[in-house]
Amino acid sequence: MEGRLANAWRLTANDKSFIRTALLSEIRIDGRKPYEYRKIVVKFGREDGSSEVQLGQTRVMGIVTAQLVQPYRDRPKEGILSIFTEVSPMADPSFEPGHPGELAVELGRIIDRGLRYFCYLLKDLIEAEVCQLYSSNPLSFLFPRMYRAYSVESKAVDTESLCVLAGKFVWAIRIDLHILDNGGNLVDAANIAALAALLTFRRPECSLGGEDGQEVIVHPPEIREPLPLIVHHLPIAITFGFFSNDSILVIDPTHNEEAVMGGRMTTTVNANGDICAIQKAGGEGVPQRVIMQCLQLATAKAAGITKQIKEALYDILWYHLLRETTLETGELKCTTQKEL
Amino acid sequence: MEKKQSGSPPSLIDSTVVPGDVVLDLSSMTNQTIMLGGGLRQDCDAISVMKAGTLRFSKPNKYWVESSQKRYTPCVEDTVLGIVVDSKADNFLIDIKGPVLAFLPVLAFEGGTRRNIPKFEVGTLLYLRVVKANFGMNPELSCTDASGKAAEFGPLKDGYMFETSTGLSRKLLSSPTCPVLEALGKKLSFEIAVGLNGRVWVNAATPDTIVVVANAIMNSESLSGAQQIIMVEHLLKNIQ
Repeated sequence: MEGRLANAWRLTANDKSFIRTALLSEIRIDGRKPYEYRKIVVKFGREDGSSEVQLGQTRVMGIVTAQLVQPYRDRPKEGILSIFTEVSPMADPSFEPGHPGELAVELGRIIDRGLRYFCYLLKDLIEAEVCQLYSSNPLSFLFPRMYRAYSVESKAVDTESLCVLAGKFVWAIRIDLHILDNGGNLVDAANIAALAALLTFRRPECSLGGEDGQEVIVHPPEIREPLPLIVHHLPIAITFGFFSNDSILVIDPTHNEEAVMGGRMTTTVNANGDICAIQKAGGEGVPQRVIMQCLQLATAKAAGITKQIKEALYDILWYHLLRETTLETGELKCTTQKEL
Repeated sequence: MEKKQSGSPPSLIDSTVVPGDVVLDLSSMTNQTIMLGGGLRQDCDAISVMKAGTLRFSKPNKYWVESSQKRYTPCVEDTVLGIVVDSKADNFLIDIKGPVLAFLPVLAFEGGTRRNIPKFEVGTLLYLRVVKANFGMNPELSCTDASGKAAEFGPLKDGYMFETSTGLSRKLLSSPTCPVLEALGKKLSFEIAVGLNGRVWVNAATPDTIVVVANAIMNSESLSGAQQIIMVEHLLKNIQ
């Protein structure tokens, strides 16, 4: 028992009170302002669909793979999207090896929700907030607006395009997230890793053949260029930390801040201002106006992060373009290089 | 032929060595007593390296290998910063970033008797001295110096503690003063306690001074002296 205690990471009483006192003067221990994000570095691996994201000290790797499977009975024309999270004690001594703890499961659920479901329009929610002030039921602001949002917005990853043969074969996309280092705010980093991996992933092209058109032929990548996934928008998860004194709010908490903060909330928004998901699991309560403030801050941040992901993709897309032209004719490859 | 001080050409002192390197050949040095520190082993007539690091020599005859790690191996007479984990009848259990927890006897304080045992809460930061550190046993600590006086040991109040590698803590404690501490000291006033186990505690009047000092020290690990001074100037310009 003593050996295990020796490995745990501990925060001193001095640090706990210092982090709180410094936040009263809007200073964070790594020198950031309360609403500032750490530096994000997005790197890609050699294979399609692998990415590694560094958010300060936090590192997450995302791998996307696909397989042809039978679809679910109630959704015969849609592909399947599943997310698996792996945490190892190398990332943080508090993680247990083997079975994933609460943290890993919650992380997977938040990212899954952002990618899978429809999103609400932020401006609808602001209107609803005004209505709610005049109504007695606190939940009444949610219901009238939900139905309008469904018909207008779309999911992040288009699962209908993954259908090959309705009822028989669809693509099952599997996203594996490996947590390499926990420096705080795993959800945001894992989300960016999942998005980056999805954007660079290429699935093999397949066509229907055989006598009755019921056989699926999967073309190898050397014969036919693999296809990208259809991603309509990028849902970016932004995590907020709440501290009890004077309801102080910080974005992107580090490991130390997470140990001290009273509550956390993750909002998944995209650059268009749509809200994809909100997760607040336990922790201290926050007033409604703070949640609205968080949503507006998150929308502002999401635009910046989306731009960073797209810029990181730019180099990889050049590589894909080179690869495509090489396949068609060897000569085209030379001209593209000259242009570069 | 003139013999070099190391006794084996070329001299490996102050250069990086890896396990397996032979640094001294005893057959060429007769009637000398050599003292070997950590990281070196004697194989008949050859002294070979066991741990990767930098070979150091101090007059008249001490050799050792210095390396920097995140984990700390307790050594006697080291001053360390420990966090209280638990308190038992006879000892406090302290975490000093070593392989096992260390014991601090409840009487190891200046004027300590059974009647005035201090009460430390879990999470208190203490500045301590290592008294016993044998392999396989829990190290023993003390809050007094060798003669029994308090001498700055004991709990540290307020401030902020952060973790570094053992190499950086040694650099911070070396004399002449480390360039980053000198550059910071010229402009800011702060108090600092460095533990050889890779923990540093900083205290100052305002939170932003503490944050600047902590970040400057954390960034200075891989920089040379001149680079450290430039880095500190840059940081100070940004906040003023």
